Amino acid sequence: MTLRVLCGLVAASSLAGFLFAEVSSSDFASHLDRQTHGIHCSLLPGAGELDTRGTSGCHVTLMSPYSSVLRDAVWGGVPIALPAMGVFAFLVVAALAILVLGRERDRRALLGLTLAAAIPFVTSIAMGWISLHELDAACKLCIGIYLASAAAFVLAGSALFVARRGEPEALSAASASEAEATLPDAPIDAAGQTADAPRLATASEMDRRIAARRLERRGALAAPEPLGWGVVGLGALIGIAFVALPVLAYAAGAPDFSGYVGACGTLAHPEGGDEVLVAIGPQTREVEMIEVLDPLCPSCRGFEARFSAHRAAEEVSRSALLFPLDAECNWMVSESVHPGACLLSRAVLCAEEDAEEVLAWAFAQQSELERREDEEAEDAARRVERAVRERFPALGECIASPEARNRLNRALRFAVDNELPVLTPQVYVDGTRLCDEDTDLGLDYVLSRLLDRSEGER
Amino acid sequence: MIGASPGRLAAVAILALAGLIVPTALVGTWQSRAASRLVEAEAAAEASPEERPAVAAAADEEYCTPALRQILRRVLTSCGLIGGSGRGCQPVEARSVATMDGDDFNALFLPMRERGGILQFDRAESDLDASDVALVDRVFADRGGASYFFVVARASPDGSEARNRELSRDRAEGVMRHLESTFHDPALHDQVGLLWLGEEYAQLDPSFCDWQRSGEAGACAPEDLNRSAFVAWIDCRL
Repeated sequence: MTLRVLCGLVAASSLAGFLFAEVSSSDFASHLDRQTHGIHCSLLPGAGELDTRGTSGCHVTLMSPYSSVLRDAVWGGVPIALPAMGVFAFLVVAALAILVLGRERDRRALLGLTLAAAIPFVTSIAMGWISLHELDAACKLCIGIYLASAAAFVLAGSALFVARRGEPEALSAASASEAEATLPDAPIDAAGQTADAPRLATASEMDRRIAARRLERRGALAAPEPLGWGVVGLGALIGIAFVALPVLAYAAGAPDFSGYVGACGTLAHPEGGDEVLVAIGPQTREVEMIEVLDPLCPSCRGFEARFSAHRAAEEVSRSALLFPLDAECNWMVSESVHPGACLLSRAVLCAEEDAEEVLAWAFAQQSELERREDEEAEDAARRVERAVRERFPALGECIASPEARNRLNRALRFAVDNELPVLTPQVYVDGTRLCDEDTDLGLDYVLSRLLDRSEGER
Repeated sequence: MIGASPGRLAAVAILALAGLIVPTALVGTWQSRAASRLVEAEAAAEASPEERPAVAAAADEEYCTPALRQILRRVLTSCGLIGGSGRGCQPVEARSVATMDGDDFNALFLPMRERGGILQFDRAESDLDASDVALVDRVFADRGGASYFFVVARASPDGSEARNRELSRDRAEGVMRHLESTFHDPALHDQVGLLWLGEEYAQLDPSFCDWQRSGEAGACAPEDLNRSAFVAWIDCRL
């Protein structure tokens, strides 16, 4: 495999990485319209069905706090796939430039290429670890980026290795050429004198001639003059520009959604909430946050994961208003969206000071507890009941009691009194509602502003 | 320094320029498209408010006809649940606000058959026994989206009119006391309407035997039915 082929493969794998990163960035940026979107999740960039249900690892990863940076400053943050896209674009250009300029044997150029390829490779290792250990999600699009990064790095490193190995060969080839040039046209006798009579070449003479010709054929000439350090430095600056330009363009062109902060209503009658709200975590902080949730709602689980990583988690007294989207107890839904959610909500209420534990269990087991395809709502609810009774046997009596039903009903009536929308999750900070569109990617942006506002008002 | 022909250098420069421009241009494209979609979505939402999420509200069942609503409003106002401070209506008051005869008054509750129950008391008793408690707890806990809980207590014609009226009132208030001690709901007084009807008011007819009742299943003679308190949630918004 020649150095040219290796450099070409670096360009090809970097191009693949660019395409994966482009699809990921594009999916992320599509949310700047404040709507929900299906996202790509395939090992072929841009191919395959869109995940519209939010069940794929790609969705989990994209909605996680690790998918972007500067979230407090830019709505949704700057997707980390964007600098990846810049790095890959640089790698494509750098690898092609090496080929066009005939620098594939230039160790210094290849070292620069390898170092540049190491950036997405090392980042991929870190992100892959986070994906598996923190998010417990396998994102195919991300895996595509990881593989492309690894391929680009290994290929660039291989090219550097071959070029380094090739240099001594080239030197020995040069020596061989010199040696061949000094070979006598006439044979030398045992005393080292040229004899007039022709003779066969010795074995060592033949070896040297063959080696010299082979190396000539392979074109293994001496390495070119390496690039000056100034050129390498210029290349690094250009590389930085490849990353910085799209990132700056994204940050500068990101929409200003601050006008939506606090524009989605307030709790009309927050009084009486103490009777129906479930405390989550410490209740000693000044800013109060109410989350309207359904224990079987995937978006609520997603919100929980996002919120727990936010600084606000340490700054608010948080409580939950249980609002199961289950017709068994909630007359506001015509059919059960999450059968069994009423029973699970009663279990949370019955658990009293251990409510947080029951809620955490419900979120953790949600994929097991949610209604299966072709399953009747009643069967799904019974399955939830069995699971709850098995996991929390001490709550068995309470969850069926009139008192628990009444308490849950009062929670629903709190929603009625405050004319809340029939949806979950909803978040209220000191009575001001976060717009639904801001409960996922825009959470940090809006929450930090609401917290600042609340603290400013005190 | 690089040792390449100007043509090759130009080719590399073009490559680099393209590599710089393409990601940046893509960013601009994504953002401008998102902005356009946002404008469209907001215009669409403005144009069709019916597509907004429903707002949480109390239940309002089909049986809540305008006529029923009017009667309920009068009864509830008179009984202090709406705009008043009192609690509990005497039969004369109920009759005057409902302006209907006793059978029509009883018919008012027929649509609530699935939501109501009849607590049957022992003769001359106003205390709730275990089966009464079980039934009232079950009915009350199954509030759903109903706004008002009616307790309509009665007494059979045995004994004096005054004694029966007193007994009827004790039965209604006994139910209320039980609800207060069991459910600890501070809003209870705004939800529960008490009516106590004496023997002079229309008696429940045997068709109410099909309702869920406390006591023995076979005990459904007129005097059994009317030593009772009718309890039901009313799924009407006023």
